[in-house]
Amino acid sequence: MSTPLTGKADGMESQLEIAVTAPGAKGFHIRGDVAERLLSVFSPLLLLLLWEFLVRTGLLDARFFPAPTGIVSTFWALVSSGELFNHLSASIVRLAVGFVMGATPGLMLGLIMGLSPMIRAAISPMIAATYPIPKIAILPLIMLIFGLGEMSKYVVIAIGVFFLVLINTIAGVVNIEKIYLDVGKNFGASRKNMYFTIAFPGALPLIFAGVRLAWGVALLLIVAAEFVGAKTGIGYLIWQSWQTFSVEAMYVGLVIISILGYVSSLILDELERILIPWKSLHLSA
Amino acid sequence: MQMPAAPTETKVSIEGLQKFFRTGHTKVIALDNVNLAIPDGQFVCIVGPSGCGKTTLLRILAGLETPSDGRITVVQGDKNKPVNSMIFQEQSVFPWMTVKDNIAYGLSMRGLDSKGKDEKVDYYVKKVGLSKFAKAYPHQLSGGMKQRVSVARAFANDPEILLMDEPFAALDEQNKILLQEELLRIWEETRKTVIFITHSIDEAIVLGDRVIVMTAHPGTIKADVKVEFARPRGVYELRAQPEFGKLAYEIWGLLRDEVLKAKREEGAE
Repeated sequence: MSTPLTGKADGMESQLEIAVTAPGAKGFHIRGDVAERLLSVFSPLLLLLLWEFLVRTGLLDARFFPAPTGIVSTFWALVSSGELFNHLSASIVRLAVGFVMGATPGLMLGLIMGLSPMIRAAISPMIAATYPIPKIAILPLIMLIFGLGEMSKYVVIAIGVFFLVLINTIAGVVNIEKIYLDVGKNFGASRKNMYFTIAFPGALPLIFAGVRLAWGVALLLIVAAEFVGAKTGIGYLIWQSWQTFSVEAMYVGLVIISILGYVSSLILDELERILIPWKSLHLSA
Repeated sequence: MQMPAAPTETKVSIEGLQKFFRTGHTKVIALDNVNLAIPDGQFVCIVGPSGCGKTTLLRILAGLETPSDGRITVVQGDKNKPVNSMIFQEQSVFPWMTVKDNIAYGLSMRGLDSKGKDEKVDYYVKKVGLSKFAKAYPHQLSGGMKQRVSVARAFANDPEILLMDEPFAALDEQNKILLQEELLRIWEETRKTVIFITHSIDEAIVLGDRVIVMTAHPGTIKADVKVEFARPRGVYELRAQPEFGKLAYEIWGLLRDEVLKAKREEGAE
């Protein structure tokens, strides 16, 4: 096997070497893993360094792209004055209240519509007609009705979250294998137990997918809502920085939003693992 | 253990049962004039060509479909017991519940207190050999183990009659034999009335006291064959007896015309 390859060009020899060491030779893979991890840590750092360098040499316009060091010092200033915490907590409270206000009715109506074809037939057209309206487009109407206070923020988030949780819950229940409902019926499950022991857990994987989507939409809506009618919040911080031309503070707001998004997705991952053990175990197996 | 008195008391009686489905303007008759009286404690197997309505019959008995005409009576000995529990075809075990919760399902739905429930559930978890997997989720189990959960769930519910809809059809031959043995072993303890649907003549003879042969569509009863092997039976040993072959031959003779008829109809449609 190896005889025809000896004496070939370098490239061929190294190919042969990989083929020989790869199976069972763990060292090769670990080195690859470490290299990948280092690369994924260092490449953003390198980009930041390059950014800093370009700003300092005047190649990048500092009015639009302030130096990372400048952003960091603004960040510390906002943290130590307590201002950043106020904005962040205001946004998180709005997100949480609005999310619960939207997800709860979305989940309940979704379960009912999922199990009852009659109710589904009656309500579906209205959902289909109102769902495509961009939620940002009705923000002015919501502010007209609920004023500039907290309630208008809760409501706009609640509406965005409601639709996504509702639609995913309906799909989750409708897609439950019919045999499970037969089992419930045959073993004497009450109406209440049909919801709690079959519809809800059976739909949970899809409900969770809806919750994920809804959270993303909630982040989008909170920023938009805080742009126009708020005196606190991350959206307000970004918008106000634009008005006062404090670009560094604007970048701080953007970074905070992205961290908020990232951390919440980690929390949702963990929550999914706890709430849907039959699914996550399956994935890890 | 004292055997129950000679099984003469009728447990289940089916009289003039008819079931039709409407699709558009056509009326499709699935079951026509089905009459059957089953004594208490009898293990009845029903065989028939596919599409003969045997599953529909069982679903009507299970309360999952309503009869179009006729009467079904199940004599209820104990008002606290559920009338029937079904062992479904594959994949009826809830993936979101542990083995133990699955087996406890019927008892939980009836609102039994946790002490009485645990005792019963533990007994059947052990009985079907899943003690080590009591807290496992179904996706961690093999097909045969899942079906054991389904068997245990029905027995734990302690119903008046047990309904089984081809419960072992999806299993491989070896697992099927093992599960048939286990089913008989568990059944011997309680000797409940069983109605067992299958398309396998072998399985019907091995398990049943009586094999009902159904006609092709529309389904009605063609023959009623007694199976008089002594119990407790050895699922495997039984097959070695010459009587077994004779019975299988006889039942296949009855079934063959119906299978061919069903096939012709399939082609005609």
